[in-house]
Amino acid sequence: MDKVLYVAMTGARENMYAQQAHANNLANATTTGFKSDFEQARAMRVLGEGYESRVYSMSERPGTDLDSGTLMQTGRDLDVAVAGDGWLAVQGPDGNEVYTRNGSLQINAANQLVTGSGLPVIGAGGGPIVIPPAENITIGNDGTVTIRPIGENAVEIALVDQIKLVQPEQGQLFKGRDGFMHTDNDVPLAANPNVQVRAGYLESSNVNAISELTSMISLQRQFEMQVKMMKTAEENSSAAAEVLSMS
Amino acid sequence: MHGALHVAKTGLSAQDTQLKVISNNLANVSTVGFKKDRLEFEDLLYQVRRQPGAATGEDSMLPSGLQLGSGVRTVSTQKLFHTGDMQITDQPFDVAINGRGFLQVAMPNGDIAYTRNGELHLDGENRLVTSEGYLVEPAITLPDQVTNFSVGNDGTVSVTVAGDPNPQELGQLELADFVNPQGLQATGQNLYIETAASGAPIVGLAGEEGRGIIKQGMLEGSNVNAVEELVDMITTQRAYEMNSKVISTADEMLSYVSQQL
Repeated sequence: MDKVLYVAMTGARENMYAQQAHANNLANATTTGFKSDFEQARAMRVLGEGYESRVYSMSERPGTDLDSGTLMQTGRDLDVAVAGDGWLAVQGPDGNEVYTRNGSLQINAANQLVTGSGLPVIGAGGGPIVIPPAENITIGNDGTVTIRPIGENAVEIALVDQIKLVQPEQGQLFKGRDGFMHTDNDVPLAANPNVQVRAGYLESSNVNAISELTSMISLQRQFEMQVKMMKTAEENSSAAAEVLSMS
Repeated sequence: MHGALHVAKTGLSAQDTQLKVISNNLANVSTVGFKKDRLEFEDLLYQVRRQPGAATGEDSMLPSGLQLGSGVRTVSTQKLFHTGDMQITDQPFDVAINGRGFLQVAMPNGDIAYTRNGELHLDGENRLVTSEGYLVEPAITLPDQVTNFSVGNDGTVSVTVAGDPNPQELGQLELADFVNPQGLQATGQNLYIETAASGAPIVGLAGEEGRGIIKQGMLEGSNVNAVEELVDMITTQRAYEMNSKVISTADEMLSYVSQQL
C-alpha cells in the first residue's frame, strides 16, 4: 500500500495537536497574566535505509509569547502588575523559584504574601514575605511592601520586605509543565532593581482570540485536506486491486 | 479523541463559573454590606508530547519539543473587601462601619458570625437583632418606653426613656477584625464565619487598634460596581463563544473523518 496514507495521517494527527495548543490559548483567554504558547509545524524527514522520500509533519512549541497583556485597573491593594518586562519570583509547587506575571496576591493564614493559587511570593531575602497584621498594605513601584501596622498612627509606616522582581535575558525563561516560567536547571535569577510594578492593576492574558480562532479554522481545513488525501490513497489502492484482480 | 475538545470544555466550564460569580455580584448590587467576589483562573498542567532535546536521529535532535497545555481551571474566589458607598438612612437602628471590622452576631447554634450589614431591629423582647432575628453580640436589651436611641462612634449604645431626661448607657457594640478577611467563609445572609485562613477574630472597641468607627443612621451599600460587572459579563460571553467554537470545530473534524474514511 502506498505510504502516502501514513504521511497524510501524520499531517492530520499533528493538526489535532496543534489545535489543542490553540484551544489551550483560547481557554486561557481570561486567565490573569497568562502567556500564550506559539505552535508551528516542521518537516521531519523519515530517516533510515534507502532513499529518504518521505517527510512527515511535526508540531512543536517553539516558545511562549512574552508580550505584555493589557493592564486592568482593579483598585485592590494587593493586585500588582509588572510594568514592561520583568517577572515576579514565587516559590513553585516543586520548591524551586519560578516566575509569573499573575500578581493577584493574597495573605494566607501564616501571614505570608501568596499568589492566588497559594504559592509564596519571594522577598528580598530569598524567602517568603511575611506581613504582620496591618491596617493597610501598600506595594510600591519597585516592589517594596510597606504597611501601617494595626492600631498605629499614620506616621508609623513600616517597611516589611521587597518582592523579588527579575528581568531575564531573552530566551532564558521557558514555560514548565506547571504553567510557570522556569530557568534552565531552575537556577534562580538575580533581582533586578529596574523592574517596576503597579499596585492596583492586574495584567490580562496576552492571548489574541481572533488569531487563535483563525488558526483553529485554518487547521480544520488542513485536517480535512489530509483526510481527503487518505481517502484518495484508499481509492487508489482499491483501483489497483481491481486492475490486478484475477477474474 | 481530540485534545482540543477537552481543553475547550475546561474553558467553557471556567467561563460558566465566571458568569455565575458575576451574576451573583450583580444580583447583590443593592444588598447592604455585600462584598463582591472575584474568580481566579489558572492554566492547567502541561503535557510534554515530545521532549525538547530528544534525539531524532544519529546526529539530530529536537530543538524545541511539543508541550501542550490542558486548559484552564478556576482556583479560588476572592472576596474583595473594599468599602461600599455610605448611604444616609437616618434610621436610628441603622449602623455602618467606617473602616475595618465586623459586627458580631450570635447564631442560633451559639456560634458567632460576622457581618458588615448594620440594619438592626428590635425583637419582641426589645433586644437588638439583625434582620434574620439573630442577636447582636454583646447582647443589648432596651428598656421600655424609649424616646431616643443613639449609638456613638465607639459603639456606646445609650437611650433616654420617657419621663427621665438623663440618658442611660446600655452597653457597647464591639467590632471584630481579622488578619486576612479574605479568608472568611461567606455563609449567605450577609454573614461570614471564621476559618483557619482568616485567623482568629481580634475583638475590641470601635475606633481602637485600627478598627473602624461606627456611624449611626447610615448603611454601607454593596461594593459591586454594576458597570464593571457588565463589562466582565461581555468578555465572559465572548470567551465562552470562542471556546464553544473550538468544540464545534473539533467536532466537525471528527465527523468529517468518520464520514470520509
